[in-house]
Amino acid sequence: MAVLRPARPVPTPSMQTGAAGPGRATGFRRVRSHWPQYLAISPFYLLFSVFGLFPALFSLYLAFHRWDGLGEMQFVGLKNFQYLLGDGTFWLALRNTFIIWFLSTVPMLFVALAIAAMLNSTVRFTAFYRIAYFIPNITSLVAMAIFFGAVFSTNFGLVNVVLQAVHLPAVHWLTNPLGMKIVVATVTTWQWTGYNTIIYLAGLQAIPSEVYEAAKVDGAGPIQTFVRITIPLLRPIILFTVVVSTITGMQTFTEPQVLFGNNGTLTANTGGAGHGALTMVLYFYHQAFDNHDFGYGAAIAWAVFLVVMVFAAINWRLVQRRET
Amino acid sequence: MELSRRRAIHLGMLGTVGAMIGGTAACSTSTSGGSGGGTNSIDFWYWQDGLSEKVVDDAVKRFTSVSLKPQQIGGDFRQKLTTTMASGAFVPGITGIKGEDFASFTPQADRFVNLLDHGADKLAGQYLSWKWKKGMTKDGKLIGFPIDIGPTAHFYRRDIFAKAGLPTDPDKVGAQMSTWDDYFAAGVELKKAVPTAHMVSEAWSVYNVAVSAAPARYIDENEHFIGDQDHIHTAWNYAIKAIRLGLDAKVQSGSTDWNAGLANGSLPSQTGAAWGAADIQSGAKNTSGNWGVALSPGGSGNIGGSFLAITKECSKPDVAFEIISWILSPENQARGFTDSALFPSTPATYAMPALTAPDPFFGGQVTIQVLGQAAQKIPVQYESPNDQAVSAPYQNELTNVESNGKDPDAAWADAITEAKKIGQRLGVS
Amino acid sequence: MRANRFRGLGPHLVLLVGVAISVFPFYWMIVMATNTTSDIYRYPPKLTIGGELATNLSHVFEKIHFFAAMGNTIVVAVSTTVLVLFFDSLAAFTFAKFDFPGKRILFALLIGIFMLPAQLSLIPQFITMVKLGWAGQLQALIVPAAANAFGIFWMRQYITGAVPDDLLDAARLDGCGFFRQYWHVALPTIRPGLAFLGIYTFIAAWNDYVWPLIVLVNPDQLTLQVALSQLNRSYNQDYSMIMAAALLAVAPLVIMFVLVARNFIADAVKGAVRG
Repeated sequence: MAVLRPARPVPTPSMQTGAAGPGRATGFRRVRSHWPQYLAISPFYLLFSVFGLFPALFSLYLAFHRWDGLGEMQFVGLKNFQYLLGDGTFWLALRNTFIIWFLSTVPMLFVALAIAAMLNSTVRFTAFYRIAYFIPNITSLVAMAIFFGAVFSTNFGLVNVVLQAVHLPAVHWLTNPLGMKIVVATVTTWQWTGYNTIIYLAGLQAIPSEVYEAAKVDGAGPIQTFVRITIPLLRPIILFTVVVSTITGMQTFTEPQVLFGNNGTLTANTGGAGHGALTMVLYFYHQAFDNHDFGYGAAIAWAVFLVVMVFAAINWRLVQRRET
Repeated sequence: MELSRRRAIHLGMLGTVGAMIGGTAACSTSTSGGSGGGTNSIDFWYWQDGLSEKVVDDAVKRFTSVSLKPQQIGGDFRQKLTTTMASGAFVPGITGIKGEDFASFTPQADRFVNLLDHGADKLAGQYLSWKWKKGMTKDGKLIGFPIDIGPTAHFYRRDIFAKAGLPTDPDKVGAQMSTWDDYFAAGVELKKAVPTAHMVSEAWSVYNVAVSAAPARYIDENEHFIGDQDHIHTAWNYAIKAIRLGLDAKVQSGSTDWNAGLANGSLPSQTGAAWGAADIQSGAKNTSGNWGVALSPGGSGNIGGSFLAITKECSKPDVAFEIISWILSPENQARGFTDSALFPSTPATYAMPALTAPDPFFGGQVTIQVLGQAAQKIPVQYESPNDQAVSAPYQNELTNVESNGKDPDAAWADAITEAKKIGQRLGVS
Repeated sequence: MRANRFRGLGPHLVLLVGVAISVFPFYWMIVMATNTTSDIYRYPPKLTIGGELATNLSHVFEKIHFFAAMGNTIVVAVSTTVLVLFFDSLAAFTFAKFDFPGKRILFALLIGIFMLPAQLSLIPQFITMVKLGWAGQLQALIVPAAANAFGIFWMRQYITGAVPDDLLDAARLDGCGFFRQYWHVALPTIRPGLAFLGIYTFIAAWNDYVWPLIVLVNPDQLTLQVALSQLNRSYNQDYSMIMAAALLAVAPLVIMFVLVARNFIADAVKGAVRG
């Protein structure tokens, strides 16, 4: 957890807290003198301790038990975790999650940044573009699943029609393991690119125009300005999108569930043919809510937590390092 | 040392969290949340088309000694029921339980009312015996009252079969393709005559139907794993044979390719549960009149079909039993068939006009003649609470063979290893 | 003048291709909602808007109390959004611009909470709500969502860059305390950031499904998504009806977005001067 430091040293914080004199008062007085700050952050932590802490502890407790959700809990010690280490399906799900994350997050963030930069520099129709790019976020999931199921279908899908038109072989997108991951990544990218665009745009709008004026005076071209000025000033926002995409990407659940979850024949929530689109959280959901194995589900969830934490910390470090 | 530490952690957790959970799980009757719907009302949960809505409305008007409050629950029904029962509050007095979930509720039989205590045994004769037994626990309590069933059948395109020189009359189709081997032989003929047509849309539709007709499933009544035995291996081999003969179109049911295949004749044969007919009808409306229904190859089985249950929280279990037995009487099951396409679990219903009308989609065939016959031939299979979990590897390995060209023998061995491993964790020996 | 107009055309072409890709599935949702289910299954599929919308919607209104559910959803989404905007921005302002003992640990905890899969807490959360006597009531949706880690993290990152330190220094020299610095200095400068958080929160509250399905035990008080889920059947779905309902359900979101988009535009006008 210690690695989760702020992206950059908070600028001149000590001088803002005038009450805490240079003499460094005792711990309690220092704490007390900051009461407005504690009050300001307290709602979240209060809500968390009422609505978040109990579920978290409960799930930890569950991870050491066998429980079907209704009957008596049975203590099994570390058995769930032992099983997890040898569970090939979990490791497959871990691998799938990383592949899908990579295939979706990398293009998504780059495209979003490019669109945001273009939107920021155009004057006309900006409201129209913003609304249009945000539409995927409010498109019904069911519509999305049917639509992309049709686009990627083997015999009649648009993608294969195009492939065959340029004399490439058709791909079984919905049953081939890599194809399935590409489909999930495509849908994720489609749905969340506009959202990240809006985030970047909000960040770009906060950059004062004088900064650009100055660059113009110095004779910097548009690309140079973007790389040398825009990107560094946007760093807190980029860090935000990278960390959030990492956390949410590692928890990818909805897209594979909707696309490959219930096709009528296969067992629900197993990620389609050959577990090709089975992600970690989908596997957790399957164990808990389809197999009614809440203890093992909780163990998986904590493993997901661990993976997310380590990976988010690595990404945080990577983005942060470039800065210095 | 290690043990005592673990124990200490365990006890510590029990002290903090466990007390809260224990409190809720055990004291379900003490919560004031209106369990079962208060003193004179009965909350009644089911899902859209799980029962005929009209019959349910009539039940509300008919049973006025209580206030019956029906509620259609959308989404994941089992998840909502489990969560609510775990909390012990707002538990419905009467609830539907989906067929695929039923086995997982049997270990919690003591949270449901034993319907035999309320005179259910007098009604047993009206229901299909295998379905009746499915609603029972191992020690003979009846907790699930039969709603519908899903007898398997063979749906086929008469016009395409005619083109391939295959029989088109339901009886003749059923007779010529009574075994899977005969069915595949007809598939080879079909492919010769109509090269674009595949007899089997996906290997799973062979495997699943074959397992449903087997005398047992993956786990026996003593919770022993039997998924490596002949009855499963045979079903597996049929599916593999379909792939090997090139009869398998590798198209998942419900997909765009599947719907297109039904409509354009490249998928002229479907094996599956009776309720699948609705999917065929909506997927291939333009082929109305060209379909037929025959007995399934390899014998009849059952896929799906639900139950009604009364929870211990129910304030008036006697009235509740009257209500459910009225809703699911042979007469009302006919209405369930008409309103919501629920295939009746009461053989007397099969002779009623609602079911004996010729079906124009199936070329005017009286489908109940075939399906009713199938319904009575279904074997009694024991379904363990862990059946679903253990069956997942077979399905996964079968798709590995089908879409990734994995060696069938290796896939079979891997499926068994994995199924045994899962079973062991869940207490299957 | 002329050259200028052409120079601007390139980005617009690229942007329009993006728009087409983004909007097409939504358009197709409209196509599905205005045709019949069998039109959807036809091959090649129908791609033009049909005339069945009224029929489809009338089926929806027969089956569910659509507008009552929408009223509940508006209550939940509006109150959640207002609370989140206030609590999150205040906490974020504190994390971004002030130092106090335990800050790093508290912030790390905040991010850590974000990493636990949400589905994990369904059962214990429901137990909590039953104990509080909130099961079946709208506050069971509003209160737990009134402040969240995501929003605090976002606003903290945004405020770090968007609120200049010298502005706060100046305010303090004028005698502004902590809360007045927040209200008079920070809030006015972070409107685009708040606009995003507002939209995000509103949409999330509007579309929230799994938790409301579990906790809203009273059938007379449902949110839109829970009510919509009752249109689903286990087989033989009437997709046209479902899409008509879904379309009507997202209409308020589109209107809301159009209204809030102005908050972004305020700054874009400033940008016009620079272009």
